[in-house]
Amino acid sequence: MGRLSVIVAILLMLSAISLVTARYQSRQLFVESERVQAQTRDLETGWRRLQLDRAEYARNSRVDEAASGELGMLGIVPDRTLYLNQPRGNTAGGAQ
Amino acid sequence: MKRVPFFDNPVLRGSLPMWRARLVLILIFAGFLTLVGRALFLQGISTEFLQQQGERRYERTIPLPAMRGKILDRNGAVLASSVPARGVFAIPEDVKKASDEQMKALAKLLEMPVADIRARIDDDRNFVYLKRQVSVDVGDEIKALNVPGVHQLGENRRYYPDGEVMGHVVGFTNIEDRGQEGVELTFNDVLSGTAGSRRVIKDRLGRVIEDVQAIVPPVDGKDLRLSIDTRLQFVVYKALQDALEERGARAGAAVVIDVHTGEVLALANLPTFDPNRRETYKPANLRNMAITDTFEPGSIMKPFTAALALDLGRITPTTIFDTGNGKFRYQGSTISDVSRNGSIAVGDILRRSSNIGMTMISERLQSREMWDRFTELGLGTAPQIGFPGAAPGRLRPWDRWRLIEKATMAYGYGLSVSLLQVARAYSVFARDGDMVSLSLVKRDSEPTSVRVYPTKIAVMLRSMLEAAAGPDGAKAAQVQGYRVAGKSGTARKIIDGKYSTSRYRSSFVGFAPVSDPKIIVAVSIDEPQKGAYYGGAVAAPVFSRIVGGSLRLMGVKPDAPFESTIVANAPERTR
Repeated sequence: MGRLSVIVAILLMLSAISLVTARYQSRQLFVESERVQAQTRDLETGWRRLQLDRAEYARNSRVDEAASGELGMLGIVPDRTLYLNQPRGNTAGGAQ
Repeated sequence: MKRVPFFDNPVLRGSLPMWRARLVLILIFAGFLTLVGRALFLQGISTEFLQQQGERRYERTIPLPAMRGKILDRNGAVLASSVPARGVFAIPEDVKKASDEQMKALAKLLEMPVADIRARIDDDRNFVYLKRQVSVDVGDEIKALNVPGVHQLGENRRYYPDGEVMGHVVGFTNIEDRGQEGVELTFNDVLSGTAGSRRVIKDRLGRVIEDVQAIVPPVDGKDLRLSIDTRLQFVVYKALQDALEERGARAGAAVVIDVHTGEVLALANLPTFDPNRRETYKPANLRNMAITDTFEPGSIMKPFTAALALDLGRITPTTIFDTGNGKFRYQGSTISDVSRNGSIAVGDILRRSSNIGMTMISERLQSREMWDRFTELGLGTAPQIGFPGAAPGRLRPWDRWRLIEKATMAYGYGLSVSLLQVARAYSVFARDGDMVSLSLVKRDSEPTSVRVYPTKIAVMLRSMLEAAAGPDGAKAAQVQGYRVAGKSGTARKIIDGKYSTSRYRSSFVGFAPVSDPKIIVAVSIDEPQKGAYYGGAVAAPVFSRIVGGSLRLMGVKPDAPFESTIVANAPERTR
């Protein structure tokens, strides 16, 4: 009887300690997951911002200004274009 | 040590009065009863209230805002996107403790004069917004200043990279992130997501420790892919802008529609606004004229009447009409042409835009037939494009038309349409007689279409319209390398109930390339001041520029002969 109660007491202690550590670990993991989620959000925002920046720099009016103003380029017209007739079925090699 | 038995204690030897023991006993019992009563009260009666209070001390519900969806063009370029921003607010009572340097630094970061901020916080309220939609970087700098009583809230700010070029199509949102105009308003439900929430336990320092309930995740708004092509849109915008400057016109609008899918590829209005800058939101700028404004179309209506007469067999392509010397008395009014045209057939009536010729054609038609066909062409009903304020235009019931009105309707006066309606109606000629339904959103499936004219008539009209835009017609509409077809229109505007002789609306509607039409382009220039005012002189060059630029960008092969000014040399070395 006495031995049994000692064993049960030890088991109880072990269980109590494991509960505490499990609880601690769960908090740790929770904090970690929070941190990673925040990072996801930040990256998402960063991506949105970069996408906007790209759209801003690739804006047609800006490109047009740079092309015709700074670089002195002209719009293409058919009489200054050479149209090449490519045999059908061989379309893969044409584009560069 | 001698044991003293408890019943023989010397203290107890003297007999004490019995009432003292009783009193103590009663007092102790009374004390216990009070405690039991209190415990019952706390546990039984006020337990719910106490538990709530407890939870309020450590549990919090955090709202999880949803991001508004992006608006993309047909090729995936971003037209509108949200990024986080901050709303800076102040609690006036606390801000009074701030030092002058702090206020100065704050004012500098907010780009507001110090006096302005002082005026805002001189208030009894306990919450005042100083500035909203501040960028996150500036928000962090403000936080670093540590001004007492100045705090920040998270919000979203919407950016429109294409600015005024795309203003009318995309529209804008208000400060609460709700759509107010354009696509932002029409598709607000799709774009705005559903906010989520989570219930958490926080520790003493306000850090989240754990979730109490399952998180309700926020559902971000869906991205929306429009049918608009930014490159074409810019071509259209630039062509309009240059034309307005050159002609000193009050306003202009243009639409480009894909013939096969009915998608709107470009839609521009001038004057316009920049959705990024609220100071440009003026009523005159916000008008989306191509969709919400109606006007008397004038000559651009003529092909529809002519096609109807041909379809019903009332005239043939060779029926000759004597238009005389350019003046014609009809039902008590004088109908006049710009030039004397003599005896001409229907093709020439369209090419020379003869009002007299159209009057004679209308004599062979009944009001009812014209009204039916115009209604089938979608005039008088708002186009189902899902855009706010799409105008239905005006087409009066046929039984109230007088004879002179029937004649004027035949050449485009006495009814009103929007530019978008005309552009859609022209798809019957570009598409072998059926009218396509329009869409502002990129289509995945075949569009629906309604047959209005037989194919034979559409093909016939196509060649007549090609002649009308040819060397003997509105030749300014011609595009090098491509065959174009179209009709110019010059409508006098009604000022104070009378037709003005100085204010016009010049328009041109057409399609290209004629061998296999790809796009329909409709242009309207309002009140050109400098130089000519005829549609063939004002709107046709804009049409030509838009068609040339668009077909080139779309990679459409030229279908008209042209002389090349460059020659290819044999390559000197291979790459």
